[in-house]
Amino acid sequence: MSDAGATQQQVTKENAGETQQQQVVKEMEFEEKGEAERGSAPDEVVIAISPAFGDQMHAQTLTEIPHAAILRELFAGLEEEGVKARVVRIWRSADLAAMGYDAAKLSGSGISISIQSRGTALIHQRDLVPLAPMELFPQAPSIDLPTYRHIARNAAQYAKGDSPSPVPQVNDPMARPKWQAISSVFHIRETEFVRPDEKPVELGVTFKGR
Amino acid sequence: MLAKGQETQGDGQGVKRHKRFEALEKRDVNQDGYVKEWPEVGLIAMGSPEDPEPSIKIEDGVIVEMDGVAREDFDLVDDFVARTAIDNTIAEEMMALDAVEIARKIVDINVTRAEVLKVFTGLTPAKIAAVMERMNVVEMMMGLQKMRARRTPATQGHVTNVRDNPVLMAADAAEAGMYGFAELETTVGMIRYAPFNALALLVGGQTGRGGIITQDAVEEAMELQLGLRGLTTYAETVSVYGTEDAFRDGDDTPWSKALLASAYASRGIKMRFTSGTGAEVQLASAQGKSMLYLEIKCVMLSKGVGVQGLQNGSISCIGVPAAVPGGIRAVLAENLVTTCLDLEAASGNDQSFSHSPFRRTARTLMQMLPGTDLIFSGYSTVPNYDNMFAGSNFDCDDNDDYLIISRDLKTDGGMVPVDEQEVVAARNKAAEALRAVFEELDLPRITDEEIEAATYAHGSKDMPERDTVQDTKAATKMMERGVTGIDVVKALAKRGFQDVAANVLEMQKQRVSGDYLHTSAILSPDFKVISAVNDVNDYEGPGTGYRLEGERWQRIADIRQALGPDDI
Repeated sequence: MSDAGATQQQVTKENAGETQQQQVVKEMEFEEKGEAERGSAPDEVVIAISPAFGDQMHAQTLTEIPHAAILRELFAGLEEEGVKARVVRIWRSADLAAMGYDAAKLSGSGISISIQSRGTALIHQRDLVPLAPMELFPQAPSIDLPTYRHIARNAAQYAKGDSPSPVPQVNDPMARPKWQAISSVFHIRETEFVRPDEKPVELGVTFKGR
Repeated sequence: MLAKGQETQGDGQGVKRHKRFEALEKRDVNQDGYVKEWPEVGLIAMGSPEDPEPSIKIEDGVIVEMDGVAREDFDLVDDFVARTAIDNTIAEEMMALDAVEIARKIVDINVTRAEVLKVFTGLTPAKIAAVMERMNVVEMMMGLQKMRARRTPATQGHVTNVRDNPVLMAADAAEAGMYGFAELETTVGMIRYAPFNALALLVGGQTGRGGIITQDAVEEAMELQLGLRGLTTYAETVSVYGTEDAFRDGDDTPWSKALLASAYASRGIKMRFTSGTGAEVQLASAQGKSMLYLEIKCVMLSKGVGVQGLQNGSISCIGVPAAVPGGIRAVLAENLVTTCLDLEAASGNDQSFSHSPFRRTARTLMQMLPGTDLIFSGYSTVPNYDNMFAGSNFDCDDNDDYLIISRDLKTDGGMVPVDEQEVVAARNKAAEALRAVFEELDLPRITDEEIEAATYAHGSKDMPERDTVQDTKAATKMMERGVTGIDVVKALAKRGFQDVAANVLEMQKQRVSGDYLHTSAILSPDFKVISAVNDVNDYEGPGTGYRLEGERWQRIADIRQALGPDDI
């Protein structure tokens, strides 16, 4: 990976046989703001990021989407619906459902988005059981940036008490043969960053080059 | 690799490529992902250096050491296995047998299935792994042919669609019934559609063929509720794992899974567990143990819980063993272990694992040729783009390939050829039956346009859109209103679908008689239970066991594509 430093970069992403070209932000900085507390604002959605997200493992997903670009799309999707974003790093687990459940309990609206470094995501709600989220996006290689933005819009609508149609998903039966083993290696590497006894930390995010 | 000095062309454009290698890279097999073994984290199919040596110590009737671990150091899984899955009255005797000798007993047609079953009740996980290590895939297939519990092989189908369209689902279930599937499994794209999917599968399945048993693989509490309501008639997606960490990730223990199994049994609903190689490593909690060793613990745990069967063969993790050396052999080994512990084997083949038709076929022949209780668990009866289990190893576009392989080899793959016009009629009837049920239960409207589309559809791309918000709200209300299988029977009867109503009612009665809770139980079209009790596998070499012959063979042999002398 070249150190293009701080600015937008053209990335090419293969998706369902089409080549899409998108202008994406590639870098961001985190500012640690201490232990995340339970929010009281009913118009916030908490975004839970996994232990290595954004600053380890090349800060990109399985399909090389920069983590910064994903966070920016999530922010944009929430903003479109007039809902505030709060980012929390979950340290105790890299498990998607566990992260999302923890974050939902911290969220003023009770709604959270959870995302792992490999790109897998979900929308959770604090009254649900941990393994039954509102919407699950299990196939990271099939999720593109517009889909991340749509996920955030839906999360925002749930926060407002609406019932949006679920985000349409690409069902690619060939994602498994191509990606599953590599995805496992990716996840094993991410779990090496887990700190089982550490509390969730609230993060400020600054996108670079924008 | 190229020799030094050959790496680059003078023009600086990089390595000059051999055109055959360029051609090879475009082949399907090279669209698959492969990884090297990484034993330290358990990314190894069989025989990890971290796998323990077999051992057992019994004091006062209690296992105090198993596979080199003292009782006080057992994790949850070891503890459960040692307490429940090993007969400690014969374990020392069986553990004293050489692993090669046990492997030979599995293959030897002069050693009965019953004798092998007895040996396996006294083995530890590491010992069973050592036995599998001694066998090649042909020997394992010999073993599967002899050791599977039910004499007659069968198969299971997936019926799903990407939009959770209930009309299409009912039509697809009816078509699957005609192809001869013994069980049908659905799941959801959207969780809130689960009740409609269960309903569509129940009505459509019983339209295609009476006695087909149906399940809806969703979150465990919802799945149980659907079963209790009589909207599904078996369950399978109760996952168990080979390490304590993996269980904890799922918010579970072996005891909580046992409790769930009991809940199904207490209400007369058939159920099996699910596990498979690769799950623990995918959850990053394999602790350096091989995939097969951990899977053997899952099989033993299932045996210990007392469930009648197990779905394994890697299942949703197949991409993991498939990516490492010997992985598909390990997947066959886990099926064999399941049968050697006298459990129903629903043997996988249910997930897309390769772009290559050769790899796909080779992987499936391992179970298809010997036959298992359910060769696929399941076969995608819909196009893979509609398969919400993320694609199966075979889909509906492979039906003729599969049937003709079955005909070529005179092997019963659990499917039979069908007549196009009969299928069209059954699809239409299923869609109409579901419409009647929807109307009687005050559920959202099903239009003529939808019925027509579902009757002839290849998949959901051929269906008009439904209002998913309205559907999911109605599905939630349907559960709140307490709709049960009996309400479905009443609705069908009231609207003139007497035969379908009678079939759905028969399925409800099965829960009262409970006979289909026996190992490997399926139902014939006239609702007779076929299980390891009344159809026990008696294979002892040529001249014994299941043979594809008579009317069934004629049916498989008689394909629409074959020309007769009068056609020429």
